[in-house]
Amino acid sequence: MESNSEIINADDETSSTLNDDSSKLYTNSAEFISSEENEDTRSELKFDPVLESEEEKSKRLEIEEALKDGDSALETWRRLALGKYGLVNDDLRRQVWPLLLNVDPDPSEKAPLLAELSQHSEYSQVVLDVNRSLKRFPPGIPYKQRVALQDQLTVLILRVIMKYPHLRYYQGYHDVAITFLLVVGETVAFRIMERLSTDHLRECMEPTMEKTSYTLTYIYPILQREDKDLYEFMDSATVGTMFALPWYLTWFGHSLNQYRDVVRLYDYFLASPPLMPLYVAASLVIDRRQDVFDVGCDMASIHCLLSQIPDNLDFESILQRASNLYKKYPPSKLEKDVKNRVQKELEQRRKDEQRIRRRLDKNRAAWVKMRHYLPNWLLLHYRNKYGLLFATATLLVGLYAYLRATETGFSLFKQGPWNI
Amino acid sequence: MSTTQIQQQELKKVVDTIPNRIKTFKIIVVGDSNVGKTSLTYRFCESKFIQTSEATIGVDFRERTLHIDDEDIKLQLWDTAGQERFRKSMVQHFYRNVHAVVIVYDVTNRASFDSLVYWLDECDRNCFTNVPRILVGNKCDEKLEINTNMAQRFADQHNMPLFETSARLDSECDNVEAIFLTLAHKLKNQKQLIPVDVVGQTQRLIRANPVNDNSSWNCCLRS
Repeated sequence: MESNSEIINADDETSSTLNDDSSKLYTNSAEFISSEENEDTRSELKFDPVLESEEEKSKRLEIEEALKDGDSALETWRRLALGKYGLVNDDLRRQVWPLLLNVDPDPSEKAPLLAELSQHSEYSQVVLDVNRSLKRFPPGIPYKQRVALQDQLTVLILRVIMKYPHLRYYQGYHDVAITFLLVVGETVAFRIMERLSTDHLRECMEPTMEKTSYTLTYIYPILQREDKDLYEFMDSATVGTMFALPWYLTWFGHSLNQYRDVVRLYDYFLASPPLMPLYVAASLVIDRRQDVFDVGCDMASIHCLLSQIPDNLDFESILQRASNLYKKYPPSKLEKDVKNRVQKELEQRRKDEQRIRRRLDKNRAAWVKMRHYLPNWLLLHYRNKYGLLFATATLLVGLYAYLRATETGFSLFKQGPWNI
Repeated sequence: MSTTQIQQQELKKVVDTIPNRIKTFKIIVVGDSNVGKTSLTYRFCESKFIQTSEATIGVDFRERTLHIDDEDIKLQLWDTAGQERFRKSMVQHFYRNVHAVVIVYDVTNRASFDSLVYWLDECDRNCFTNVPRILVGNKCDEKLEINTNMAQRFADQHNMPLFETSARLDSECDNVEAIFLTLAHKLKNQKQLIPVDVVGQTQRLIRANPVNDNSSWNCCLRS
């Protein structure tokens, strides 16, 4: 805590004392006020309290037993996090999440000062996104508390990317960070984010999204093997993978409307290999296959349908299917297909470009049309050295022909020696 | 004889470009982070202001059907992420088959205006056809950092009509409507995939007044 109080000099009192409260705050879900006064038609994140079922209760007792035991192995935590209902509640999550990643909640590392943070090139982007993350906070949270948590979120994000300068912040990273901040508090959240950023999310944090775009393609080979009709339908509509981008980048945190679904999925992903979100994405699409067929074979309609995840999905069965898919078609078996698919898309795009160009050319002068069929070096660009070379050569050939013609006397009708 | 031929050709063109009977136009909305791209598209499609707006990740999609000259046309608005890193490798997905581009800046934020050059460049690199572009200055309910003259000069230089509006104010609702209606008219009347050559035309700033719209897009089309 000492290190934290140095982070925000101005309002460090609220900031540091809040930390302890914040993790407990969200377990008391009964205190939350529903957000009915908000008129926004987009569904707000719902923090509705849910009564514990018999099954959940026995799962909770099992986890509590394992925690008491003291030397449960990583395998135990993984099994519990993956299995039905995951880690059940936030109180247990706060204890088990660090164990799943085996992070050391050592609070001694000094966080950079706010003055330092604000010098960072990503600072303003992070602040913009954090300020717009209101949806992720429980409704009814006191204004002061929310602002303090948002400050902590900014610090948390910048701390990671300052410690690892090769990592780049992306919009959506804040959705991941806030989930951990709300559940485990500032200190442990930093450790977890540090670990995930150099592992599961590393690819997303590269300077370009090229690899992320590539990795998203995994969804299609999974669909192709598991649900051929659906695959062909989506493939012929050229839906692409953009609908799943926020799912992958935020572990669904950005796209889900219910807080309990978000944390349930985080249980699952923390205990899974890095590519698991794509298997869950495929599983989710399969779960909604009928909706996809109903909406029609149109890119925009399917994109729109899929990017809005309904509230009433049975995530336990979706996760169960995702686990099965991973077992049946591990990434190593799909790699070749992914590569081919990316290659094919690239070629298709090139063809489309040419087709559009040709269509445009119909209305253009002949010489403009010719341009696209001539190699570049043939065109007489002023700045192109080959063009210059070509022009010089033309001139020389012309000169030679002229000299030949004058030598023998210029007449087209005169019989030359070659024409006997 | 000749007339029937022309009709057939036209029919073919229609079938070719509009598979769903109703004419659909894809419009992408670009601009810096936090200039209000989401708010603008939301205002137009839902006639409301988003109270808790979030950062857009990748691309969001909204649509609205308009009735223009006894015909229904559908505008698909693709609301893109503002952060630069999303564009480096995703940008081709955004611009695919696009019919028009709306470039947004924040009138209270000079940096977002300065970036317009970058957005125009991206647009040039990714649009094959000379697709219609419009410039929108958002948040004009707040203190202006970019004055209208300057923005108008920039818009003229790049042959774009300029609109200033506020997605937040209900009173400006008509203006947002006018922006997209103008675009819809222009798209509807424009021959498919033939670039609109507007060189040498100065287009006037249009303030919330749908009545005046006709002149503005007509002037673009006449050239």
